[in-house]
Amino acid sequence: MPVAAVRWRWTIGAVLLVLSAPIVLTYGWLVMASFSVRTTGLVPHGFTWDNWRFLWSTLPNEANAWVAATNSLLFAVSLALAEVLIGSMAAYALSRLNFRGRGAFLASTMVLHSFPSVTLLIAIFLILRVLGLYDQLGGVILVKLALDLPLGIWIMKGFYDAVPWDIEMAAMMDGYSRLQIWWRVMLPLISPGLFAFGIFAFLSGWNEFLLPYVLLPSQNSQTLSVLMASLSGEEQYADYGLVTALSVFYILPAVVFFALTQKYLLRIFTGGVKA
Amino acid sequence: MELTLEHVSKQFGRVRAVDDVSLTIRDGELVALLGPSGCGKSTTLFLVAGLYRPSAGRILFGQRVVNDVSPQSRGVGLVFQSYALYPHLTTFENIAFPLRVKRTSRAEVTRRVHEVADLTGITECLPRPPAQLSGGQQQRVALCRALVKAPAILLLDEPLSNLDARLREATRAEIKRLQRELGITTLFVSHDQAEALGIADRVGIMDRGKLVVLMTPMELYQRPPSRFVAEFIGTPPMNFMPVQVAENGIVFDGAPLRHLPRPIPQGAYMLGVRPEHLHVAADGTLPALVVLVETLGRDLLIHATCGGVRLRILADPETHVGPDDRVRLRLDWDRTHLFEADSGRVVPFAGEGRSVQ
Amino acid sequence: MRVTPEFPSGRQIAARGAGWHRWVPGGYPALFLGPAGMVVAALFLAPAVLTIVISVTNLSVATGLSHYQWVGLGNYSQIAHSPWLGLILRNTVIYVVCTLILFNVGLALVLALLTAHLSERAAGVFRVLWMLPRITPSVVYALMWRWAAAQSPYGIVSQLLGLAGVPGRNWMNVHPWAFVISLNGFVGASFGMIIFSSAITAIPRDQYLAAQVDGASAWQQVWRITVPRLRWPILFVTAYQTLSLLTSFEYILLTTNGGPGFYATEVWSLYAFHLALSNYFGNTQFGLGAALAAILVVLGVGASVCYLRLFRFSELVSPPRIEVN
Repeated sequence: MPVAAVRWRWTIGAVLLVLSAPIVLTYGWLVMASFSVRTTGLVPHGFTWDNWRFLWSTLPNEANAWVAATNSLLFAVSLALAEVLIGSMAAYALSRLNFRGRGAFLASTMVLHSFPSVTLLIAIFLILRVLGLYDQLGGVILVKLALDLPLGIWIMKGFYDAVPWDIEMAAMMDGYSRLQIWWRVMLPLISPGLFAFGIFAFLSGWNEFLLPYVLLPSQNSQTLSVLMASLSGEEQYADYGLVTALSVFYILPAVVFFALTQKYLLRIFTGGVKA
Repeated sequence: MELTLEHVSKQFGRVRAVDDVSLTIRDGELVALLGPSGCGKSTTLFLVAGLYRPSAGRILFGQRVVNDVSPQSRGVGLVFQSYALYPHLTTFENIAFPLRVKRTSRAEVTRRVHEVADLTGITECLPRPPAQLSGGQQQRVALCRALVKAPAILLLDEPLSNLDARLREATRAEIKRLQRELGITTLFVSHDQAEALGIADRVGIMDRGKLVVLMTPMELYQRPPSRFVAEFIGTPPMNFMPVQVAENGIVFDGAPLRHLPRPIPQGAYMLGVRPEHLHVAADGTLPALVVLVETLGRDLLIHATCGGVRLRILADPETHVGPDDRVRLRLDWDRTHLFEADSGRVVPFAGEGRSVQ
Repeated sequence: MRVTPEFPSGRQIAARGAGWHRWVPGGYPALFLGPAGMVVAALFLAPAVLTIVISVTNLSVATGLSHYQWVGLGNYSQIAHSPWLGLILRNTVIYVVCTLILFNVGLALVLALLTAHLSERAAGVFRVLWMLPRITPSVVYALMWRWAAAQSPYGIVSQLLGLAGVPGRNWMNVHPWAFVISLNGFVGASFGMIIFSSAITAIPRDQYLAAQVDGASAWQQVWRITVPRLRWPILFVTAYQTLSLLTSFEYILLTTNGGPGFYATEVWSLYAFHLALSNYFGNTQFGLGAALAAILVVLGVGASVCYLRLFRFSELVSPPRIEVN
């Protein structure tokens, strides 16, 4: 679309700014309040490092922020690695291999990838309790993996589809088995996309709230998201300083990673679907 | 290594891409498969490569049936139309790729890559990635990669179509020279007849999955076995004039054209005559009206109508004709062909008889 | 130079062919698809089936895993006759319809159209800005909105309105729907915005130039060229986001939690969650909750299959070009 004339551009910019104001204001407040003793509205009073004391001491509810952060990190990293490895293998099979039932697998991937997995929480809760995986980080990782895989496979299949068939054929003529082709030719060729997808999966795990909330209740196993929820639960809780500092601590990796891989992530967030 | 296809067919769902094709390529021979798009020539190539399995028939390398041998194990080199070079590897690594899977020693790999790179003249390209090379260089890299493993059979899928015209001629000769020198049995696929006729020892023409004919280029040109082949081979294409064979000879446009001493079954036929075998001559038997004269440099291409048929005549540049001129055309009768009008089959005809003035 | 071809001998071929994958049933496809297939079957497909199975029992904390009974359609009839059904349905419809039209499609369209007229850099800035809600952890995001709505002297809404002389209150309690719809909408708008933006950039510039030459104004260009091209994307976003909104409840849980008061903003999915997984009433009822969820599951499967047909996904699937594995 042609860029509008200059005078219009300023009006458009102003309108967009007004629409985006809530976002700018709320995030701005977050950072400011984390360094202030108190804020009334948007006006900070007093600069302090005190809000950040959770970095070296325990929180009012006896929890340790670092334990929660470690749980979140373990969760997110394991999820990302597992999704990339298992998902990319499955995506390769769906994109390139020839086998009976390929159509059925593709159809189910397509049906599952847009399915609201949140509805299955109740059944999952019961299954994990029965399997003894309740309140275990491993159990929740497996659950999140299962729920996110269809979308992930769908996206990664798109990456493989973009590689020309000729190259696969050439590698076969050169004497390589499918496994070798996948490892030595395909993975290097889709590695930028895979990397971005890994970041996407990491963020998905880092930000996850509902699953740990339901399936990882105890204080030792809780993630940062659950910790934050319990700290900021009550309406009357007015120590925004501590809570906002913790929030900034929590939100930082997400923002940093997003800034780094922005363009690719944008494409992935819409599920790689064409308009 | 002799390559044999015995009644090979390939079916994709309801479509029969390759229909009962049988041919034998002798050791060291270069055979071209020529045909319009969708005729099944590339499918045939991939069947030989092993990427597709035949629905029926057998493929033999020498005496061994290779239907069930995986493409990885067939010892076949394949050069793709798009070259299919690995973008994430340097040229050296691209060429070395087939050797690495066999765990060849580093010294041996280097030696063989350099050997084959010298053959095609791309040694200075070796450290660079394919993206930095020109089209012609990339094509030679693809060729090297196919040759480095000393294949028994070399397959080429439209190797020249992505090159510009001038490069095509030079590369064509290169491929022929290489093939002769190495003595590899080669099968190559093309839709460009100049290419195929130029370098192949024998040319096979395919149409809608069937192998119509397999002959040497000269035989194809001079003695086409069917109207389809005659029309396909030769640029500018052969002229076809619908004629009737009656009791006293060939009749065109209502007028007797030539008496025939030997009887040919009466009926409708097509008389085929190549543009270079038609001449503008005052004593010619065919009256024609010139429509357009194209200057080709070495010749003139004259478009004329005669009896409602559009004819093309390749003439000497000294011929002075212009549009709307009325001329008379003479045919080289010993170079004409007769085809049955409905089946397209060629009828033995040595141009005998006497013309009617 | 005559090359001696290295054609592998019969024995060599046989030896290489005895790779392990020949002996594993399924070969390479099984190897590549196996792990994913097993995980998804165990923790995605099985729960889907289980949800429906549980919904015909009266499983709850009280009955435990050994004393439950099959109640057939009992839970479903309980839902149908529940005094809260009307309220919950009304809440769900308000939530889905308003958020969808105002934000997920409406605001997304506005954003896409506006940013399309800016330079690439400026548009990029706004795009990143609007992605922030989506990449923020839900807990933090909810916190920020709760602060904004808080009573004075803390919340900014109170502060701004205070300048106009309006007394400060906890605005979330006063106008819960405004907040619930807005905060969900700000997250949802980014999906539509990206889809619409890429659809807009796909329109060839020549069409606009031709229209300009013909004397069309900017408004006419947008109306005649851009909007018609957005019909399919709008349909697509509507379809996907409807399903997504119908089943999402995380942000509502973290802000109003279905309140204030009794079920003021309780939507269907949240109700199911509360019944089965939170200690709202003490005795969490899995069976009843599962019944509510099962209805959503069936809806979800039905909708996904419809998308398959509607958006012709099957066309994206073509047979592989290499037959052998």
